[in-house]
Amino acid sequence: MTLATEPSVTEPAPPEGADGADTGAPSIGGAPMTNFDAPETPGGRSRTRVVVGHLTLAVLGLACIFPIYWLYATSLRRPNDVYEVNPLPWPLSVDSYRTAIDEIDVLRLLLNTTVVAVLTALGQLLTSLLAAYAFAAWNFPLKRLLYLAFVGSWLVPFQVAMLPNYVLLHQLGLLNTLSGVIVPNIVSGLGVLLLRQHLDGFPKELLEAARMDGRSSWSTLWTVVVPNLRAALAALGILLLVNAWNEYFWPALVLQRHNDVLQLGIRSFMSSTEGDDWGPLTATAGLACLPIFVIYLVLQRHVVSGFVRSGLR
Amino acid sequence: MSRITVENVTRRYGDVRAVDGVSLDVAHGDFLVLLGPSGCGKSTLLRMIAGLVPPSDGRVLVDGRDVTETPARDRDLAMVFQSYALYPHLTVARNIGFPLRTRRQRRAEISARVAEVADILDLGKLLDRRPRELSGGQRQRVALGRALVRDPGAFLMDEPLSNLDAQLRTATRTEITELHHRLGRTFVYVTHDQVEAMTMATSVAVLNHGRLEQVGTPTEVYDTPASAFVAGFLGSPPMNLLDAEVVARDGRLHAVAAGVDVPLGLGDPGQQGEPGKQGEPGEQVRRPAVLGIRPEHLSLRPAASDGAAPEATLRGTVRTIENLGSEEIAHCRVGAAEVAVRARRPAGFTVGEAVVLTVRPEHTHLFDRESGRRLVWRPDRDAPIPAARVPVAT
Repeated sequence: MTLATEPSVTEPAPPEGADGADTGAPSIGGAPMTNFDAPETPGGRSRTRVVVGHLTLAVLGLACIFPIYWLYATSLRRPNDVYEVNPLPWPLSVDSYRTAIDEIDVLRLLLNTTVVAVLTALGQLLTSLLAAYAFAAWNFPLKRLLYLAFVGSWLVPFQVAMLPNYVLLHQLGLLNTLSGVIVPNIVSGLGVLLLRQHLDGFPKELLEAARMDGRSSWSTLWTVVVPNLRAALAALGILLLVNAWNEYFWPALVLQRHNDVLQLGIRSFMSSTEGDDWGPLTATAGLACLPIFVIYLVLQRHVVSGFVRSGLR
Repeated sequence: MSRITVENVTRRYGDVRAVDGVSLDVAHGDFLVLLGPSGCGKSTLLRMIAGLVPPSDGRVLVDGRDVTETPARDRDLAMVFQSYALYPHLTVARNIGFPLRTRRQRRAEISARVAEVADILDLGKLLDRRPRELSGGQRQRVALGRALVRDPGAFLMDEPLSNLDAQLRTATRTEITELHHRLGRTFVYVTHDQVEAMTMATSVAVLNHGRLEQVGTPTEVYDTPASAFVAGFLGSPPMNLLDAEVVARDGRLHAVAAGVDVPLGLGDPGQQGEPGKQGEPGEQVRRPAVLGIRPEHLSLRPAASDGAAPEATLRGTVRTIENLGSEEIAHCRVGAAEVAVRARRPAGFTVGEAVVLTVRPEHTHLFDRESGRRLVWRPDRDAPIPAARVPVAT
């Protein structure tokens, strides 16, 4: 009598009836292999598709960048060369910048524009945060209607609200002031909409945990909600800042003939009688764009992650 | 310590009553488990106790003080959430110290208290980590630590183990039980896991459709379920529940159905007739009922040995056998019903075999077929059998 170990489950069993006979099929370690058609390699059609896709994106990218490049190229030409079509501005000249700074006090306008854009964006961010927090965290009468009113204010065209706002500013004595540019824009329907969507996905148990831990609603907002909403707030903040920075029509209306912000300063170089002075005009526009580029470069990570993760697109 | 009393509490959402007139009294140092299936209202009840959900009706009292309108932060209760609800932007140390910072305690006191709690929960090496850098079990302990650091009167726990794997759940269950013994505080614990309820609780409240089915010690709830729902909810496999009729025969009551004749051990021995006259004409149908027998109280015998077993009571066929390692669960077809039998392995039966199942009368349970409530025997010695010896629903 002998004791034999049972065959391991990992041991391959001999093929039934084969008895080791060569079946003619290719094999590895005696196990027959089945022939399959070779799968389509990633070359050929799929590679062409990738190349065409990249080319299309490159052309679109160039189309987006070209006007900005042309703006800076024109601003860096010599004043007599501004109508040149040579893509390379050579020889380089900063005369247009010098003219712009001499004629319109660019630094003051830059400061004013920064104040207006930052205060408007901060105000919109704060009001959006408070409103979105209220909508997301509590149930109260007419909640749905109020929310629709916020969204509706975003959908109403600017031109519809323009005149009533203008009249109100006149009555308040805020025409021709920077406050007049800021105050009517302190609430953003878009901000409420986007932040509410984000806060709806905020874990309710975190808010409840803060309540159990003794925090008030106000304290919960600043110690629990805001720290966990930084990415979305950064993304929205930049969006609102860019919007406020680029605003032209409303400041033009409120400030009338005072060119107190950079966007209005540009128009100093536009003339229906003598023609546009393209050199300083592009130089001023180029300067107006720079802060936004810098902000984007510094906060790029927040912007991208905020927009992608929060669905704020 | 806190005594928590819930008086006739109801919570309505539109037409739905999530919690319907529940009254409970949780004594100082008690470990009450709110047990029930998903959607039975147990979490809503816990949140009403916590102050996170206001009751539509009824009162909540802590140490005799009506706290129904009191904000959550003033109830001296701490809560551990199912998802742990740790603050993602804070380290473990700051998470644990969060409630103390709210109470504006001094920094040195907070640090000392956090260190003390971290020591209890073995979190000392994790204090600088953020929640996303922790495992499920570690997060669970941090959540526990955040509750513990306040030294509250009572702890409320909403399925705190449900996100852990089986092994960790068993270990954490033991830790929480030890913590309860060590602290001696009142615990109210929500779960749908009967094993957690049976192993951790000093008392169990079983809820169904927002209503309280039974409150009692784990032993009481398991051994004398107050309703067919409780009987069917507790135990794995749960109690066998068979539609039967209670008949009086030979001065004794029997539960009778197709393939079932179970002497209930109830009746006056003095008025017994001849034994063994099953199903004779003359037997009087008393009332329909549900017969309950736990799988572990049934014994399997081959059908051939029936004659040697006068208490043999259920006849059926083995349909499937489940191997649980040390035990086997045999699922038998008895009449139209499926009956589970738990036996030590090997039970010695094969699928398709005809068997007889026996049960001792004291291990049978009767429930009212309409209300599902437990039927109890209230003997009235002055009344003739069986007129006054009707099982009464409780």
